Amino acid sequence: MLDPRWVLVVVAAATAFGSLSPVVAARKLYYFASSLPHAALLAAVLGYPLAAELGGDPAVWALAVGVPLSYIVVYLVERGVEEDVATAVFVSFSVASSVAAIYYVLTRYSVGTSLWSLIIGDPLLASWRDAWWAAGVAAGVAGAALLFYREQVVIGVDRDFAATAGLRVVLYDYLVVTALAVAAIGLLKAVGFVVEHVFILLPSAAAVNVSRNSGEALAASILSSLFAGLAGLILGVYLDVAPSAAIGFVLLGVYLASLGVREK
Amino acid sequence: MHGKPHVKVEDLTIAYRGEYVFNGDGFEVEGPGLVTVIGPNGAGKTTLFRAIMGLVKPLRGRVYVNGEDVTGSPGRAGRHIGYVPQLAHVYRGFPLTGRELVELSLRLRGRPPRLHVPRGVRERAERYLRAVGAERFADRPVSRLSGGQLQRILIARALARETPILVMDEPLSAIDPRGKEGIARIIEETARDKLVFVSSHDPIMFLHRSKYLMVVNRGIKGFGSPEKTFRLELLRHAYGGSVYMIEKCIHVFER
Repeated sequence: MLDPRWVLVVVAAATAFGSLSPVVAARKLYYFASSLPHAALLAAVLGYPLAAELGGDPAVWALAVGVPLSYIVVYLVERGVEEDVATAVFVSFSVASSVAAIYYVLTRYSVGTSLWSLIIGDPLLASWRDAWWAAGVAAGVAGAALLFYREQVVIGVDRDFAATAGLRVVLYDYLVVTALAVAAIGLLKAVGFVVEHVFILLPSAAAVNVSRNSGEALAASILSSLFAGLAGLILGVYLDVAPSAAIGFVLLGVYLASLGVREK
Repeated sequence: MHGKPHVKVEDLTIAYRGEYVFNGDGFEVEGPGLVTVIGPNGAGKTTLFRAIMGLVKPLRGRVYVNGEDVTGSPGRAGRHIGYVPQLAHVYRGFPLTGRELVELSLRLRGRPPRLHVPRGVRERAERYLRAVGAERFADRPVSRLSGGQLQRILIARALARETPILVMDEPLSAIDPRGKEGIARIIEETARDKLVFVSSHDPIMFLHRSKYLMVVNRGIKGFGSPEKTFRLELLRHAYGGSVYMIEKCIHVFER
């Protein structure tokens, strides 16, 4: 029997990442998006000592630290640094810092939540509080992704035209980075650092293969993400394997199947 | 405010990494009509267009379009000018049909969130797709369109914004010879009612269709009617030695 908390967490994560994934594809942000879980891990780890020292919720502290951190990339790109180079600098900084932060927290603090759960993720450990938190994060992120999906597609296809059509493209840059960072940080505990990469990248990679227009791409991404999330959860529970890993393998299978559809 | 489409560029100064592309250049032009901008690769044609569109903020100088200062402001420039970028600047890796590309550009008007399709968007998109002969392939994904087909879609997208001025950057690049003639004819017809700037490596294609010819190579080297501007010494000034007079016809070869 599936616990409704597990289902809520997985549906929330699948909806959030499934909505954001086509924006990542349209904006050609695959490399940047795959770097965000590194920053999310750093932010989530730092959330524990900050909450211990200053009070408050570690998850809220993680968002407060991680979202501004992710703006480094936009700032560097605006300063004329190539997007890939800016992302590489960001990854280097966040990976090195997250290792340092994990070491610091493990040696100085007694942490209620295992840091391993941030890396491998486990929806089966979700409390009702975790489940509602995930639902709230997903509602905000998916709402922002769906409301501004068209604008993000236009900017991704032709940034100059979008600017001359009146869109303030830099604001949309910050919007997409904020939504991605909130999703990566806010849902890290639910799906884990490793599977976040898969959840951000593969739904749209599969959707692009089977879609003719942007609306189909959005629908296919959300549906494939929900299917993989629920199928992975069921497989994880009944086969006694980590659900996050099962979700990752199902999404990989969806992507491989989409390649077959594209060939036709 | 001018009744006719009008562009004035004053004291344009743009440099990349300390090297000047334009240094105090300027011109003024009134439409309708076709302004063909020619020059070798790296001459600054795209930079000039991006400055007119407000996409590049010059170190010095101003750009006025229909009397409004649009320097460094693509949003203000876009109210007067429709833009057709080079094909290579359009990302074709995301699923999007040609029709969607045109309709989406019309749905950007007004304030966000833009949840409803404004009235008349579909009809207007259809009208301009037909005007450029793109209705047959408008529902195909852009990734499956030829260069010429995508170029028609991009022209329809710019026309659909119904601005008095169009800027087209290399609209004939990556298009087969038969497609080139079709696109050139659409541009010629458009220039009857609008002020159209077009850049090209191939000056011959637009020469007899142009009201003005501008020769660019790290600055504006010549500007005026094609009869006055398309001269051997001026072209050699811009293109260097790769300009030849053969049987009283000037030939320009890209090196």
